[in-house]
Amino acid sequence: MIFDLELNNVGKVYDNGTPAVIDFNLSVSKGEFIAFLGPSGCGKTTTLRMIAGFESISSGEMLIKGKRMNDIRPEHRPTSMIFQSYALFPHMTVRRNVGYGLDVKGMAKAERDAKVDRILATLGLEDIAEKKPDRLSGGQRQRIALARGLVVEPDILLLDEPLGALDANLRKAIQNELKLLQKTLGVTFVFVTHAQSEALALSDRIVVMNQGKVEQISPPHQLYTRPNTAFVAQFIGNNTIFQGEVDGASDDRMLVSTPLGQLSGRPNGTLSARSRVNVVIPAEAIEVHPAARVSREQIAHTVGGNVVGASVRRFDVVGHVSHLTAALADGRTVSLEAHVDKYQPDAFPVGADILLSWQPGEATVIPA
Amino acid sequence: MNASGMKLSLGAYTALFLVFLYGPLVVLAILSFQTGPEGGPQFPIIEWSTYWYKHLFGLTPPSRIAPLPIEQALVRSLGLAVMTMIVSTVLGVTAAQAFRRKFRGSGVVFYLIVLGMMVPGVLVGLGMALVAKTLGIDRHWWSTAFVLHVVYTFPFAFLVMLAIFNRFDPSMEEASWSLGVTPARTFRKVTFPLIFPGVLSAMLFAFTLSYDEFSRTLFASGRDLTLPLAIYGTFSVEVHPNVFAFGVLTTLFSFALLGTYAALMMLSVRRAKRIAIQEEA
Repeated sequence: MIFDLELNNVGKVYDNGTPAVIDFNLSVSKGEFIAFLGPSGCGKTTTLRMIAGFESISSGEMLIKGKRMNDIRPEHRPTSMIFQSYALFPHMTVRRNVGYGLDVKGMAKAERDAKVDRILATLGLEDIAEKKPDRLSGGQRQRIALARGLVVEPDILLLDEPLGALDANLRKAIQNELKLLQKTLGVTFVFVTHAQSEALALSDRIVVMNQGKVEQISPPHQLYTRPNTAFVAQFIGNNTIFQGEVDGASDDRMLVSTPLGQLSGRPNGTLSARSRVNVVIPAEAIEVHPAARVSREQIAHTVGGNVVGASVRRFDVVGHVSHLTAALADGRTVSLEAHVDKYQPDAFPVGADILLSWQPGEATVIPA
Repeated sequence: MNASGMKLSLGAYTALFLVFLYGPLVVLAILSFQTGPEGGPQFPIIEWSTYWYKHLFGLTPPSRIAPLPIEQALVRSLGLAVMTMIVSTVLGVTAAQAFRRKFRGSGVVFYLIVLGMMVPGVLVGLGMALVAKTLGIDRHWWSTAFVLHVVYTFPFAFLVMLAIFNRFDPSMEEASWSLGVTPARTFRKVTFPLIFPGVLSAMLFAFTLSYDEFSRTLFASGRDLTLPLAIYGTFSVEVHPNVFAFGVLTTLFSFALLGTYAALMMLSVRRAKRIAIQEEA
């Protein structure tokens, strides 16, 4: 099978010797929407720029549709890049901007104009086609950049934080448009972002990066429910992590002794007896019980012993959502939220003792 | 001090500044309308006349005051300034383009370039004269002096372009490459139109600096004089208001140059718009 994009042990070392990307491996099928997610400086943009050809590849191999691209100049790669700053040409009208990439393709004028018209219509830009980009709004400029990048029909569209400069509402709207556009056109998208909500909402698979290394490549849901590493568990979602030591295993459960008692969860990765591990519990999996109404023993057997004591630190109701901050015995806090019908204000006065429980299947045990 | 007092004193300061800046020019302009040929380069004005302007163009009856020997010098100076402007601007743009990326020894090369505008002109001129003599090269305004003019004005063009490139968003060029356009075409279609206002400024710098360059030219230009040298030469004999009349005309020429610069600037801003309209038609 030929992938649209293959990165085999790709590495980047800057001239001063600092490694930016280490041993990056990824295969992308046609039409996939891939997100590179990570904190700033994790190497995600550098990787994208290596794919585009703006940065040289120090080691490893990069292939597009089976062809080695390492030494091919950017203008000869079947990729097109959308920049966070949009990088629109201020001295050209919207139409000239969009048609710019077609000018060098040796295409008949009529065909070129037809293509430009079609993409302008697809993105709803007909009305502003003769305007200069600097007079237009962020959302419009974003769409012009997309039109300009897509009109040359790249195999892979590279997007460098394309929504970063937009305000929250617009970002949401363009997110949906982007996803729809990608599905309609069937073009492979590689998207760089530091906003996990964006990555989770848009992509088929997410590559989580940290300090130049790939931490995990998974579909969004799996990333959320089955993190591979402590970094992913901390970076994605709202997880509570307990450190402990492997006690033993039963069925597909791993028993872990922690300072807060013995907990159980599904193992992820190879874990040997007595090894140091992390138990990762997503906030969504946690049930809260007022200690005044139920005892630990009453619930412990229904959740495989996954009960820890806590107290209410804060309780706020915003509209129909209750926000509960629970303080654990070790001083850490856990933020939880649920519908106000479920967390009723009078059941959780500040300072009250509570019990937190979760099903073993919802917790993931990973190597520390 | 209260706000209005502050405003007043700043206004007075600005007025004083302008008087010092343009005062000499105004005095020069007034005296250029002195009557001739008996009127001298001092107040009072005996009678208002345009005698010295006519004298400049040889339209007055012969008198004991010789016409300014500037005709050929003016042509030479203009030619030299245009040559210098072209070469320095091209060098400035390409050198600044090279400096957008760090390269080995870029710091040293930077200071070597900038040195050209820092070193005292008299010394460089003298040095050039000595080198030319040693090597047996004839000194001319279009050879030895021209080289020195480029060495002097190139750093200005370079620094102007460096500042322009500093504010230039390189992702604009990357966007162009990623759309399949070669670097050469990208430079023509994207980079150059966007840095064009800077190129105009660099040209203006190079032209004006070369046009009234004196100290370097003095030793390096050989027998044929450039305009600043020719004018200086007339001072050593006797000063007549015809020099002032010429000064006024030169200043008008400079203003015309600035006007052209401003017009070109405005044009470069509007050009893209016009292209769009033409394509529409």
